[in-house]
Order: sequence, then C-alpha cells, then structure tokens
Amino acid sequence: MIYNYFKIALRNLWKNKVFTFLNILGLSVAFCVATLLSIASLNNLAEDQFHTNKDNLYKVYATEQTSKGPEEVSSRSTPFAPTLKDEVPGIKKITRHLEENVVVSYEDKELQLDVSYIDPDFFEMFSFPVIKGENTSPLSQKSSVALTQETAKLLFGNEDVIGKTILLQGQDAKEPFIISAILKDIPKESSMGFDLLVAYENNAYYKQTLDDWSSRFHSVYLQLDEGVTTQQFEERTRAFVAQYYRENIENAIRDGVQKDANGQYYQLRLFPYVDSVFTKFKGGIAKTSRIMPYLILCIAILILFIASVNFINMNVAKGGQRLREIGMRKTLGATKSQLFIQLWVESLFVFSISIILGLLLGYALLNDFQTLFRTSGTFGTLLSPEILSLFVIAIILITLIAGGYPALLLSKLGTLKALKGKMEARDSNRLRNTLIVIQFSIAILLISGTLVLNKQIDFLRHKDLGFDKSNVISIPLNGSLDSYTALSRLRNELQSEPEILSITAADNNLGSGRDGSGYMSISGFDYEGRSIKTHNLTVDYDYIETLNLELVAGRSFDRQFATDSLAMVINETMAKEYGKENPLDVVVSFDDSIRYKVIGVVKDYNFQGLKKEVEPLTFYLDPNVGYYYAFAKINPDKAVGAYDKIEKAWNKIEPEATFLGSFLDENIDRTLRREKVLTKIITSGSIVAILLSCIGLFAISMIVVNQRTKEIGVRKIVGASVPGLVKLLLSDFLKLVVLAFVIATPIAWWMSSKWLEDYSYKITLNLGVFIIAGLIAIIIAMLTIGYKTMHAALQNPVKSLRTE
Amino acid sequence: MIQITDLEKFYKTEEVQTIALNKLSFEVKNGEFVAIMGPSGCGKSTLLNIIGLLDDPDGGSFQFNGEEVSNYNERKRSELRKHNVGFVFQSFNLIDELTVFENVELPLIYTGVKPAERKKRVEEVLEKMQIMHRRNHFPQQLSGGQQQRVAVARAVVNNPKLILADEPTGNLDSTNGNEVMDLLIDLNEAGTTIIMVTHSEHDAKYSHRIIRMLDGQKVTENILV
Repeated sequence: MIYNYFKIALRNLWKNKVFTFLNILGLSVAFCVATLLSIASLNNLAEDQFHTNKDNLYKVYATEQTSKGPEEVSSRSTPFAPTLKDEVPGIKKITRHLEENVVVSYEDKELQLDVSYIDPDFFEMFSFPVIKGENTSPLSQKSSVALTQETAKLLFGNEDVIGKTILLQGQDAKEPFIISAILKDIPKESSMGFDLLVAYENNAYYKQTLDDWSSRFHSVYLQLDEGVTTQQFEERTRAFVAQYYRENIENAIRDGVQKDANGQYYQLRLFPYVDSVFTKFKGGIAKTSRIMPYLILCIAILILFIASVNFINMNVAKGGQRLREIGMRKTLGATKSQLFIQLWVESLFVFSISIILGLLLGYALLNDFQTLFRTSGTFGTLLSPEILSLFVIAIILITLIAGGYPALLLSKLGTLKALKGKMEARDSNRLRNTLIVIQFSIAILLISGTLVLNKQIDFLRHKDLGFDKSNVISIPLNGSLDSYTALSRLRNELQSEPEILSITAADNNLGSGRDGSGYMSISGFDYEGRSIKTHNLTVDYDYIETLNLELVAGRSFDRQFATDSLAMVINETMAKEYGKENPLDVVVSFDDSIRYKVIGVVKDYNFQGLKKEVEPLTFYLDPNVGYYYAFAKINPDKAVGAYDKIEKAWNKIEPEATFLGSFLDENIDRTLRREKVLTKIITSGSIVAILLSCIGLFAISMIVVNQRTKEIGVRKIVGASVPGLVKLLLSDFLKLVVLAFVIATPIAWWMSSKWLEDYSYKITLNLGVFIIAGLIAIIIAMLTIGYKTMHAALQNPVKSLRTE
Repeated sequence: MIQITDLEKFYKTEEVQTIALNKLSFEVKNGEFVAIMGPSGCGKSTLLNIIGLLDDPDGGSFQFNGEEVSNYNERKRSELRKHNVGFVFQSFNLIDELTVFENVELPLIYTGVKPAERKKRVEEVLEKMQIMHRRNHFPQQLSGGQQQRVAVARAVVNNPKLILADEPTGNLDSTNGNEVMDLLIDLNEAGTTIIMVTHSEHDAKYSHRIIRMLDGQKVTENILV
C-alpha cells in the first residue's frame, strides 16, 4: 500500500511539474533560511551556557542613587572582593577580573595578547579546564601564568611549554612569568575571552589601589552558596555597604538624593553571569533581554509559516482538480483514513525533498552566512539532543499541519460531491484568503522593519557627532614602547609628510577601534558642597584641534603655558554641572594640595557614540597617565596614501606590534554592528518573505485564473473589455494585500517605536515609511499576478469556453 | 435484490426545494438487467446514486438483499458498496495517474486482497475484456472505447453482485458503444445484476426491463423479455 502511495505521489508530482517546482522551491528556501537563522539564534542563546556552575555564577554591580536618578556602577575596587567574601555570608567563590592588552614576548617573538588578571577561585567557578600542567591551583605562585592551547601554539609552536618563561610588558619593564598550565581553548560560546591568565596581584594598579575603595577598574564575579538567592544576598550586603560606602551615602544625603524603594542610597546587586551578553542597564538596574535571538527565531518561524501557507493554499486549490480521483477512490471503497494517508504521504514526500534540499543549501551557504551575520554557529549548534528533538518535532508538526490540512479537507469530502468535482469553494477560499492576508501582513511587517532600521542606521551614520570623523585615523598604541616615546617617534616620522596635518593622543578611543578595546574613566568629586561626576580624558596637545572640536569659551591646551599641566578643558554639559555663569572661573581641588583650573569649554560632542546622551567630560594633560591611542589628522586633499604612510611609520617604530589604525568613521560604524546585523537579518527575512508570498500568490493566481476561464470567456462574449477583466481579476487579490497593509502597519509602527526607544538619537517615525512598505508589497503582488491575469483576459473567448 | 418503496430525495438551495425522487417504488431481482430512462432532470442519476450507496434518501425504504440500508452511515455504506457494487460511468472516471492494470487493481486493494491474488484476478479480467496488451498504458493513451473497457474491468474485478452503469455509452461512438453493451450482456448472462441509466433507446433494448421516469416518479415499465 505504502509503495502504491509513493508511486502515485511521484506521478502526481511529476504531472503538476510547475506546482511541484514552486512548492519545493518555496519550502527548500524556507527550510534553508529557517535553519540558518535558527543556527544564529541558538548559537547566541547558547552563550556562556557551557559553565558547569552557570546557575550560581553572578556578576556584581551596584545601583547608586544620584541627584540625576539611579545609576549603575559596574566596576569594583581592589579591596572590594576579598572584603565582601570575608564579611558577607553566602559567597562560595569570588574572583576579580581585569582584562588588558599586554605585549608578551618569548625569545624573539613579541605579541600583543589579551591578559586577564584573576583570583584563584576563578578556575573553580568557570569551566575553563586545564589540560596540561598544574590543574588544582594553576596560579598559586604570583609569577605563574596559564595559557590557552591556541596561545601556547602561537608562542611556542608544538613545543612542550610547561615550566618555560615568558615576559609580560609591565609598567616599567618586562616581567618574567613561568607557564604553569595550558587551558583548553575557550569555547566560541564564551562571552569572556583571554589568551593568558595571571594572578590579580600582578596588575599595574594593584599596589596603589590595595586599600583604595574609590578607584574602580575591574569586574567581580561570584558564586553563591547553594540555596542562597540573589535577593537574600543583596539584602545581606547592606551592612557592608553602610560601612564601606559611607562617604557615598553621606554625600547622597547631603545632596538631597531620593532613596530607592528599599530605603537604600547604594545597593549592591547581582545579575546572572549567563545573562552577560543580554544585559543592559536601565535606571541603574540590570535588565536582561534575549529579544535579539528570539526575534531571529521568530523570523525563522514566520518564513516557515509563509512557505507552509503556500503549500496549504496550493494543495487545497490544486486538490480541486483531483476531486474526481478522490470520488472514484471513495466509490471503490477507500476509507477517509486511507485517502488521508495517501494525500499526506504526497505532502510528506515534497517536504522530505525540500528539507533535504534546504539543509544542503544551508550547508553550502553556511560560510557566507557566518560572515554576513557575524555568527560562529554551525550545524553542530543544532546537534544537542534537546535542540535536535525540537527540530524534529517542529518538522513533524509542520508536515502534519501543512500537509495534513489539505489532505483532511479533501478526504472528508462526500463521495458524490467529490465524484461530481464539487468542493465548497466558499470555505476553502475564506481560509485561502485569510492565509494570504497573514502572509502579506508578515511580509509588510518585515519590509517596514527593514525600512525603519535602514533609516535609523543611516541617520546614526550621518549624524554630525561634533567632531571630524572622516579625516582622522586613530592608532592603538599597542607596542612595547611607552606611549610617550611611541607618540614622539610617530610625530618625528610623520610631521614632514604633507598628507598628515597633526598628530595627537589620548587615553581613550572614539567609537570602537580595530583592537576592540575601550574603557571608561569616571571620577566624582565635591564642588561647592555638591557631588559632581565627570568622564575623564587625558589628552596630548592638539587633541581639540585634531578632532576639530569647537571651542565655545576660553582656549585649548597650549605648549606655551607651563601651567596647562594643571588646566582642564570641559564640555558644555560639564560647564552646566559647575553651574557658574562663567565656567572659566572654575577652580577645583581634587585633593587638598593641587588646584585645577578650567581654561576652555568645548561644544558638546558625542564622545560615547550615539547610543548615549552627551555626559560631562573633562580633558586633562596628565603626564602620569599613559596614552592608549594616537590620532592623526590627514589632509583631505591628499588622503590617498596617508593611511599607508602612517602604517609604514608605525611598522618602523614598533616592528613587532600589529598596526591597527582605523578611520574614526569606521570606528563609529563598528559601534553600530548590532544594528547592522539586525538590519541584515530583517532585510534578508523580508526579501525571502515577500519572495515566498509571491510564489504562493503566483500559484494561486494560476489556479484561480484556470478556474475562472469559463467566466472570463462569458464576460468577454457579453462585452467585457480587457482592462475591465484585468481589474476584476486583480482586485480580488489586491484587496487582500491592502487588508494586510491595514493590519500590519499599526503593528509595524508599534514595534518600530519600541525598538527606537533605546536610542537617544533617533528618526521620527512617519506614515511615509509604512506606506512605502505597503506600496512595495502591492506593486510586487501586482507584478506577480499581472502576467497570468493579462494572459487570461487576452485569450480568445471561444478558446476560454472550450475548456469546459 | 433491490426493493425500493416510496423513495424520496429533495435538493434544497437557499430558497428553492427541488424534488428529485417522489415516492418512487420498484424492485430489481437477482440476475435482472434493468434500464432506466427519462428526460434530463427526471431523477435517474439520483436514483442510481442511492442504489449505489453513494447518497442517502430523504424518505422511504431501500432494501439491499433484504436488508434496510437507507439509514446506513457512510462507513457501512462504503463496506457494503465495495463488496457488492461495481460502477461504470459515462465519463469512465479512470484515474489518470494510474496505469490500466493499477486502475483495475484499485478495488482489490481497498478490499484487502493480497498482491499475488490481485495480480491473478486483474490479469484474468483484462484478458476477458481483451485489453491485456494495454495493461501498462495510462488512460490518456487509450481510445474512449478502450477506456470504458477498463472501467468495466474495474467494475467487475471484485465480482460484484450488482453493476450500476450511468450512460455507459454516452461518450462513445456506436461501434465502441455496442462493444461495451455486449460486455454488459455477457456479465449479465454470467449472473450479475445490472441497472443502467441511459438516454439511448438502442442501448435500453439490451435490457430485460425498461423503467421510464418523469419528475422523480416512475411513469411506465416495459418488460422486453
């Protein structure tokens, strides 16, 4: 019987080649896209899930009530973690974590590597297993270092490395470290990355911050005892906070700051480590949202839905042409279940072919997909038993519903009705129309999303940030020379070049450079009885000029004034914080002996990118703080070759360190990476959605035109014109697309506004975008069905009638 | 074999009720060949559908082999039909995707006959209908007459007690039509009861008895032999 079913299925599919092709094409594309998107989504959701202790690992942060409302404080001070563990019960393990780029050398090799400074508990908390060497406490000696397999290979090739000595660039000199352990390579699902691990005590700031509670510069992770909840733990920290953050609390009381709902000014909090990449802070509280991977999964499901709708619609419509066969089979004694199975096997057959083709296509496109969507997911991502079973269940459900519904509808028909070739057109048409409306609503929703996203990204990319981003190259000072020497040699090399207009440096970058690092320095101090916070930026002379920042008052740092080492330039927001009529009158004592004077005010510029409002900023010339980035302004008329000249100069002065210079506009673009990936996904999703919807519409229009051939003939005989007929045939479908537009637009509007809420700088939504999305859908739909309808309307009526 | 008493069937649309069968009564005995004639819309096909257990009546009694079947549900009707009734239609109703052999084999599949037995019986009946040489052809590759032979072969392969023929020669030329009628006569002579709906006086003359209908009622009955 089953053989018989397959044989007939094959013959039927072969007979309706166009439909079979359209069905298989649509379903294969949908399965391919859905599989790839699921890989990206599941890979994202798997982030950090590999840690054995994942359910009990947390990152510590604090919510501080300020005069501007609650603010999050993520970094911690050196004495914080050991004191917290001693004084607050409930902590099983705790570690500090500071990540830095350090020049590491072995014999004549010199590499810039990612070093993490950690405490011994780190190895027991996180699942980064030791595969060679000391595996109980790899960093028991201060001068021990643990390397990942990849780093060991990079530095030593295939040599046995345990016990070997490498040098790490310290503040003043290279320091020797003995390799005690090799760690298994970090899984790609890890949000934490490093090349080497050394004891926390080795970091450059350790000694000077040993008892300093106010310098915060690293993260703290902890593992709670079994049975201790985060809420219990957070409540337990209040006495600790009252003791060690007394000054913050007193200042808050003095400034009249509002307490939080629990009556606290400073509350230590935890958020799960596994939420790290999904966490954002809002109102000083960590909010976890996995919206991005779920959105991608949702698009995958919508695309499968659209393809399944096509399948249902085509099969129900096509089923009308098989009624006599079904009737005859029933006459000859076929039962409903036998007919159902026969028709379902046909669907299953199409689905199986499509799934295989879809997976093959997905496999072939995987590399391009990974590059385009910046995912490291592979087919292996789907291979866990849970995901695999979910995948199989999903496929069974889809085939059961999409294949089963038409089969059920046809097998349920009365024998006589089937034999006469009659199907209740009203019911099946209603379902068909509903499904087409849903399909196009989804397509319009995705097109609107694409347009809104592109508009917002375009807006962000082209918005004036207040500094010159197109003619400035930032160069991470990642070599072994100290930053002052590196900068001075770079100047010497480049100052005579006509392509380079000026060179300066600072301790922070703008946007996200090719080295991917950046940091934030915020300090708080009292000014006229108020607490003021400011971002700090240590700069070299010419910084303001190189970046074309606009001075609105006073002057910039000048080599002619020796006193400028105690001068500050501030931005307008900081000037407001001081609240002086003339900000140039401001003189601040950060500690009792040294007085800093404001010498200039620059116009506000977006130094933190466009996702944040401009915050208070102070520039210093501080010879005690090293620079991390040089900035070169190039002559726009001689831009060609400028980049190469800088790279050449860099390679001359730092031959061992990779040149990672990049234009600032590239750096700004890099901060929009998330948006760009989302735009790519939604754009591809909408293209696939509209393409699939049109395949479905094309097939349905073919069937409908066939069904109405006689009607068209009769109408022509009684005088209908060709345009009149085309209008008649088109209007039925266009009504559906217009209805879809009406349904999709408010949803698209709502979703777009929700998405835009996260941005400080955003486009204003107007109906135009949505109308364009609707028009795109309508025009594509018209083009899709236009050919068939025109063809039908132009037919000789005698021929049309003969088909009966 | 068939006892019909006061049989009624109505068709309802939203506003109009049409009477298709109006208290119709007649009987068909085992081994008889009955022709039913009448103008279009007189209820012939409705009657044939009810007798073939494809449709149920709205009133009256219908006994098949002494058993009242008018109140049977679809499942029981299907059971009874597949073991006892064979159909021959004007438009042949062969399944285009199946070969001649497979079309004829179909009723045997649905009655659960084993493959080897199916092969034997299909070949026998194809030989009998002189269509064996076309066993692997598809319906569209055959002439109308050949297609109706296949339809007759399919109707008889299960050895039904009753064959219902709805204008079996309606789509055929006279030569092919006569051949089909000869086949039916052969089957009838071998003991199969046949009820045939026809517009053709020529075909009706092959039968034992002609029932003429008008407006859902029997108007005359002519016994020919």
